[in-house]
Amino acid sequence: MDKIVISGMGIISAIGNNCMETLDALKASKSGIDTIHYLNTSHTEFPVGEVKLTNEEMISMLGLTASSVSTRTSLMGMIAVREAIETAGIYNINQRCSIISGTTVGGMDKSEQYYLEFLENDLHKEYIKTHDCGACTEMIADYFGFFSQVDTISTACSSAANAILLGAKFLQSGKTDVAVAGGAECITRFHLNGFNTLRILDCQHCRPFDNTRAGLNLGEGAAYIVMETEKHFLERTALTPPESQRKIYAYLSGAANTCDAFHQTASSPDGKGAYMAMKNALHNAGLHPSNVDYINAHGTGTANNDLSEGYAIEKLFGNNIPPVSSTKAFTGHTTSAAGGIEAVISILSMNNSLIPVNLNFKEKMPELSFKPVTEYSSNDIHLEHVLSNSFGFGGNDTTLIFSHHKRS
Amino acid sequence: MVYINAIRQISAQKPLTDEWFDSPIYYNEPYIRAIDPDFKQYLAPNESRRTGKILKRALITSREACKDTVPEAIITGTGLGCIENTEIFLDSMSRYGEELLPPTQFMQSTHNTVSSLVAIDIKCNSYNITFAHKGISFECALQNAFIISNKKHNVTVLVGAHDEMTPVYFNLLKRTGYLGNTNQVFAGEAAVSMLLSTKKENSSMCRIDNIEKYYSTGRNFHLDSSDYKIDAVMTGINGTEDNDRVYYENCNRWFPGVPMLRYKHLFGESYTAPAFGVYTSAICLAKQLIPEFIKLHSKVNNTKPINSILCYNHFENKNHTFILLSTCYE
Amino acid sequence: MWKNAADYSINKYYIKMDNFITQLKQEIIDVLNLEDVKPEDIDNNAPLFGEGLGLDSIDALEIIVLMEKNYGIKVKDPAQGKELFQSIKRLAEYIAENRTK
Repeated sequence: MDKIVISGMGIISAIGNNCMETLDALKASKSGIDTIHYLNTSHTEFPVGEVKLTNEEMISMLGLTASSVSTRTSLMGMIAVREAIETAGIYNINQRCSIISGTTVGGMDKSEQYYLEFLENDLHKEYIKTHDCGACTEMIADYFGFFSQVDTISTACSSAANAILLGAKFLQSGKTDVAVAGGAECITRFHLNGFNTLRILDCQHCRPFDNTRAGLNLGEGAAYIVMETEKHFLERTALTPPESQRKIYAYLSGAANTCDAFHQTASSPDGKGAYMAMKNALHNAGLHPSNVDYINAHGTGTANNDLSEGYAIEKLFGNNIPPVSSTKAFTGHTTSAAGGIEAVISILSMNNSLIPVNLNFKEKMPELSFKPVTEYSSNDIHLEHVLSNSFGFGGNDTTLIFSHHKRS
Repeated sequence: MVYINAIRQISAQKPLTDEWFDSPIYYNEPYIRAIDPDFKQYLAPNESRRTGKILKRALITSREACKDTVPEAIITGTGLGCIENTEIFLDSMSRYGEELLPPTQFMQSTHNTVSSLVAIDIKCNSYNITFAHKGISFECALQNAFIISNKKHNVTVLVGAHDEMTPVYFNLLKRTGYLGNTNQVFAGEAAVSMLLSTKKENSSMCRIDNIEKYYSTGRNFHLDSSDYKIDAVMTGINGTEDNDRVYYENCNRWFPGVPMLRYKHLFGESYTAPAFGVYTSAICLAKQLIPEFIKLHSKVNNTKPINSILCYNHFENKNHTFILLSTCYE
Repeated sequence: MWKNAADYSINKYYIKMDNFITQLKQEIIDVLNLEDVKPEDIDNNAPLFGEGLGLDSIDALEIIVLMEKNYGIKVKDPAQGKELFQSIKRLAEYIAENRTK
């Protein structure tokens, strides 16, 4: 089967509005989590990882008219997709191009702003139509105007990872020539409060895999990767001038989706779904656990996730656990976008020979044999294969494996 | 090859049976909720106490479609997800502020609740995914099922199409022009579970030969209609001019002379209504019968065998989907 | 005389407590949507979670919301709830002692 290459990527999150800024923050171990600045909520006690732009600033960055109908999620999505397709050089490509986007809150930011008015008058009725997840993907697709197939995936916090997995399936089955896949999600009052009712938000900065961890910090953002078969990439770029510098960022060498099928919100204590997702993804890639050089963990900082994921990692990797870190203390938990954001972070790490540190870690969990990476180093690091986990409510567990582009 | 081996539905027609095919119910109201079976017969009190209607229907139709089979994948399409719980949480937050909100309604508000609850119920740890893309949510799910099972051996997939409609949300969507228009079929609810398999069984209703989706904004799509040798087109005609004109124009252009059929006057309009188009077509192919009440022109003759039906759906003339179904009797 | 009066007030306390336990049971049945369960089906001394009613962590969160909504009691740490949920009797006593409304 043809190898799947990643030929472009774009990202926006609390730690930067593009790949370059994101890389700088990773190198400097600089978190983007701060007190609430942009979201209108009474719960100011929770730190969050917000994108440091207002909607108006994003509208102007995108050259949209001030009156255009948009949601925060769609705006972030447009910014990240634009960077992805520009780096790949597929703008207005005359071939079948698919966009697969993951989101769960969709246009909820506007719905929660105008809900009572929706019920009574027509002043903001254009935002009734932008409520659903599909509307978000179509706003992004329509901004570019050349996508010939659209799909929206909503599997909570693994949405973007599943979008990437589906992109690979589309390419392998010949349903499309190019797939742009990832996810977007803004912080809304709706899910900030929802997570709060479940008592899984930390009032301090989140501490994934730390013994004192007390919950997650929400984040927001968007990230997309451009995927195509290696054959397609080589044929397409053979015609472009060398100065355009089209390149392969990485291969998507394996992916797997499993279901924990344990509880609506909690992970199983032994991490069954997580274990199977990682195991199946390795199998799909034709790799062994010992081939993995770095695990970008889901690591939300909740008591339940980190223990369950930790057990699953121990079970699969035994005594040879590769370096592990969660980057959620940089970006916050970007929910539906997390799989895309962490895919881009994984590829940036691979291409720049670095391992992002697991910020805020102090005390080892007694239940686990391993500690996450805490010291930044870029010496003698070569990441051949990186495994990235994304787990969602309902046990929707997905693992992606990225491999170095110079792999033989 | 992928076969449809079982379909179970809860809708405005008689639930969990194909009996409606002999004597369907017609409605004149603009908004009809599904006819629910007696939930207590199917769900223990503990199974139903925290689950809203969309979840109860999904559990029951999934169990009935799967029987003893544990599928290799559970794939759900839902336009709005658990909109009733979403509405309760949103309403409570908007009226009373950000305190004392109900955890259950949030937990059961995400779209993937449906697929994951079914997985917990039938103990399925494998592939599980949810598509939420407006009026093509079901086709996205079906296409994914087709891709992962086509050309493989012995793969079964459960595909669901689930949407509930609350009175409040009906009124909101009426104002956007999507539902409740003059002459439009009623706004309905959908709960359809289909068991697909690469293995033909005695119960197989029909075969899925292909599924294609096109997004046409900014780029006109081209359908090579010579690929399709079909006996009828199942359309999403719903009584509104803007919607129906697209079907008439495109069917005349691509499939001149091929009879057009409809199903939305029986099942209503909803984001996942196209699942009823596939369901109705599957029964027609299995029974080798196209009843008068789904024909758009009564002059269609019934003499020849019905070999294949194309389900054509468009959503706002932006998304166009094509599902080719064939008889599985040689 | 003195002994009888004390007996009387203790007795009154128990009647009040019994009524309150029944009321609280009904509130829990309603908020958790426990169809087919009646207050008398719930053993005053049996644990609310695991065995018995078979409630789970989400139910615990719902009861915590109920405590704040109906009785003005804030449970900051869900772990504290565990101790309170050892029986309906313990929960009722805690609420009776700490309620602010």
